[in-house]
Amino acid sequence: MEEYNSGEEVVFNPDEISVSVKECVEGVIGGTDYNQSKVNQWTASIVEHSLTHLVKQGRAFKYIVNCTIMQKSGAGLHTANSCYWDTATDGSAPKRRGFWDCFTHVQGSCTVRWENRTMYCVVSVFAVAVAL
Amino acid sequence: MDYQIEEEAGFVVEDVSKIIKESVEATIGGNAYQHNRVNQWTTSIVEQCLSQLSKLGKPYKYILTCVIMQKNGAGMQTASTCFWDNSTDGSCAVRWENKSVYCIVSVFGLAI
Repeated sequence: MEEYNSGEEVVFNPDEISVSVKECVEGVIGGTDYNQSKVNQWTASIVEHSLTHLVKQGRAFKYIVNCTIMQKSGAGLHTANSCYWDTATDGSAPKRRGFWDCFTHVQGSCTVRWENRTMYCVVSVFAVAVAL
Repeated sequence: MDYQIEEEAGFVVEDVSKIIKESVEATIGGNAYQHNRVNQWTTSIVEQCLSQLSKLGKPYKYILTCVIMQKNGAGMQTASTCFWDNSTDGSCAVRWENKSVYCIVSVFGLAI
């Protein structure tokens, strides 16, 4: 009898996550300008909403959600991730971007980059399979 | 008789913090922000940290992020949230700076 991949419940789907994270970001900062007094609430709100949505999916994962908002003022910003985990079950293929030249060593995460006229927002989601 | 057992297998923030600081110092040290080197720096920092962390030999999966930002007056805010096991998992963030660079490294450790 053929063995088939019955691990569907533990698959990390970056496209789906990317869509819901973008919606979170748009919902919180869409149409606003960088505002120092609000940025603290914004990042907290984005990570909380994103995490809530992930947890609702009811999959056997631990999650880490990271959000960075940076004012556009010509400063250079560079980021990198590296992970030591089980490549068979954690995350999936990384996405590469042109200008946002980072995350080249990540083995499974989802990164959403968003910007408007006055700020950049980068949200990373890491999913780590839980041994059942 | 009950006595305190040293949690050697736990996520020890001090040890991780030390590893991060040494790795950042060794990579950036007194250098000024250089656009064409920053890519190597972030990669080098996460790789060095990861290598030291795995040497600790603990039953953990690790996730590291490193952000390097030029000091230019721009504002930046970062936040993280985690869905994990509070009794075994931990994180450590180190903020480092010199005259022209900010560097923020976060390590998340998840027990296997």
